Amino acid sequence: MTATADATKAPRAGKVKTMRAPLKLRNLELALLLLAWTINLGALALVELGALGTVEPTIILIGLGLSALTLAVHIAMRFVASQADPFILPVATVLNGIGLAGIYRVDVAEGDTGFASVAIRQVMWTSIAIGCAIGVLVLVRNHRILQRYTYIAMFVGVVLLLLPMLPGIGQEISGARVWIGIGPFSFQPGEIAKIALAIFFAGYLVTRRDSLAIVGRKFLGLQLPRLRDLGPILVIWALAMSVIVFQRDLGTALLYFGLFLVMIYVATGRFSWIFIGLVLFGTGAFFASRTLNYVEGRINNWLDAFNPAVYDADGGSYQLVQGLFGLANGGIIGTGLGQGRPDLTPVPQSDYIIATLGEELGLIGVFCILALYLLFVSRGLRIGFAGQDDFGKLLAVGLSFVVALQVFVVIGGVTRVIPLTGLTTPFLAAGGSSLVANWIIAALLLRISDTVRTQPRIVV
Amino acid sequence: MSELTLVILRILFLALMWAFIFAVVYALRSDLFGARVRKLQEQPAGVPAAAAPAPAKAPATPPAVQSFPSGTPTGAIGTSKPMATTRTASRLVITSGPKTGLEIPLGTEPLTIGRSSESGFQIRDDYTSTHHARLLLWGDEWVIQDLDSTNGTFLDGKRISTPTQVPMNTPVKVGQTSFELRR
Repeated sequence: MTATADATKAPRAGKVKTMRAPLKLRNLELALLLLAWTINLGALALVELGALGTVEPTIILIGLGLSALTLAVHIAMRFVASQADPFILPVATVLNGIGLAGIYRVDVAEGDTGFASVAIRQVMWTSIAIGCAIGVLVLVRNHRILQRYTYIAMFVGVVLLLLPMLPGIGQEISGARVWIGIGPFSFQPGEIAKIALAIFFAGYLVTRRDSLAIVGRKFLGLQLPRLRDLGPILVIWALAMSVIVFQRDLGTALLYFGLFLVMIYVATGRFSWIFIGLVLFGTGAFFASRTLNYVEGRINNWLDAFNPAVYDADGGSYQLVQGLFGLANGGIIGTGLGQGRPDLTPVPQSDYIIATLGEELGLIGVFCILALYLLFVSRGLRIGFAGQDDFGKLLAVGLSFVVALQVFVVIGGVTRVIPLTGLTTPFLAAGGSSLVANWIIAALLLRISDTVRTQPRIVV
Repeated sequence: MSELTLVILRILFLALMWAFIFAVVYALRSDLFGARVRKLQEQPAGVPAAAAPAPAKAPATPPAVQSFPSGTPTGAIGTSKPMATTRTASRLVITSGPKTGLEIPLGTEPLTIGRSSESGFQIRDDYTSTHHARLLLWGDEWVIQDLDSTNGTFLDGKRISTPTQVPMNTPVKVGQTSFELRR
């Protein structure tokens, strides 16, 4: 260094900027939240107006309760995550509120009130889920801490997955053994397991990406990995297949396997992993469809849904076709909230919530809901793209992809694009475990986006 | 409640839902179309608002840098200079551009460079892409990677196409800003 070093050193003090106008993003979020609350209250009021002709104060109170809960998240973020992404919370709020309106619609049609009302339970679960989200935001102050718990996360994920198989607490509902029952409540631990597994995959792939990406032989233009690097993917594949065989849940297996494939592809940039994974899953699914009755039935319902024999069969395509009739009844602009007949479809509040809403909001409304998911997922991918550390990048991509895949699997199943598998529509469907899991995903994405923006940065 | 009112209300509701979507997309516009460019008048007089994206040296470049000729023709740059590693390089110093002389400590985290407000090193001028380049560690060596930027990233005056090791005290140019890794 010569004399110039002193010249360049002169103006250095205090120039590294770490703070920006802290409230700009939060104020934008508040404005969008106001719009979101208006939509939610409007939806609930329209359900009452359409179905009963009056608006009762109870339902307005429910709507205000949901608003208060999301306001609590907003206030918490002003203190602990002031630079977090301003779009995730309003989008999740609208999805949750529209879902609540759809659930309440079915309650009205079936005459359920009080604690029998699924809507009341959904609000209760929403408060638990949002409590968990605030807890994550407050306790996890930097997402990189999660990297320390890579293998604990794997253990937790596998245990949660296997929990429903334990005699005593495991419950079998409509053929799939994925619930555990504690007292009057049933819970689907697999929903939480997907978050734990996403943390594990992210932590594992950050340390192993180089050996997975670089080492190996080239064969037919594909970079084939070494056998010992194949180990983890085979373990996950075996896990997914055991879920199909023992818990009889196609959707969850597809979800875990898809999550792992996408994360390994993002970490290594090798197309061969996608190829290997699809071949493995294809083989597994083919044998499952030949040997397991329920898988074969699902595929039959999908391909030949309008055949009267399939339609009337026990476990046939009755539900699927009723959902399609509902969607057709809605048409382009829908029958209007509270004015359709969503209760004609079995389980219209959980698996078929999109058919319920599609009937009453029409194609325009369904596209709006899909656009909300698109925004949510694109924000998540964006956070991953902007991230500075590899763990945060992978985790954000994994979490947002798992939401996208779940939306595709459920809505694709209901609209007969792919065979129907039992999964919940994120944020919309009635179901506590799904709400808790998805609000935790939202909180983790918010936390990562806050860390990304508050890192020491220079502005030139 | 008449039938007509209900029809109007339900169409209003659909419009409200879409209004929300468009409000979010409008707020996101800088993501879709890139961050706004800083006005050229704000630039200090020493830096010319040149149209050529790659002037070999801005006038503000300190003489110490000029003593190393920038015309090295090969991709394997700086054979005489040691590569910047976590042990040898401890700070990043800006050597030309509006913030000449500013320096930041280098940790072990990668640093993203670009016009986006999410970049770790945000450069708001006409010649910088939204996500322009990345400075990251391979093993313990610092490597600069161009992220398909429009106007390129220049290491010692030469445009890089693949991730390239950064030698010590060698200018890396992004837009109108150059920086070096130093002890």
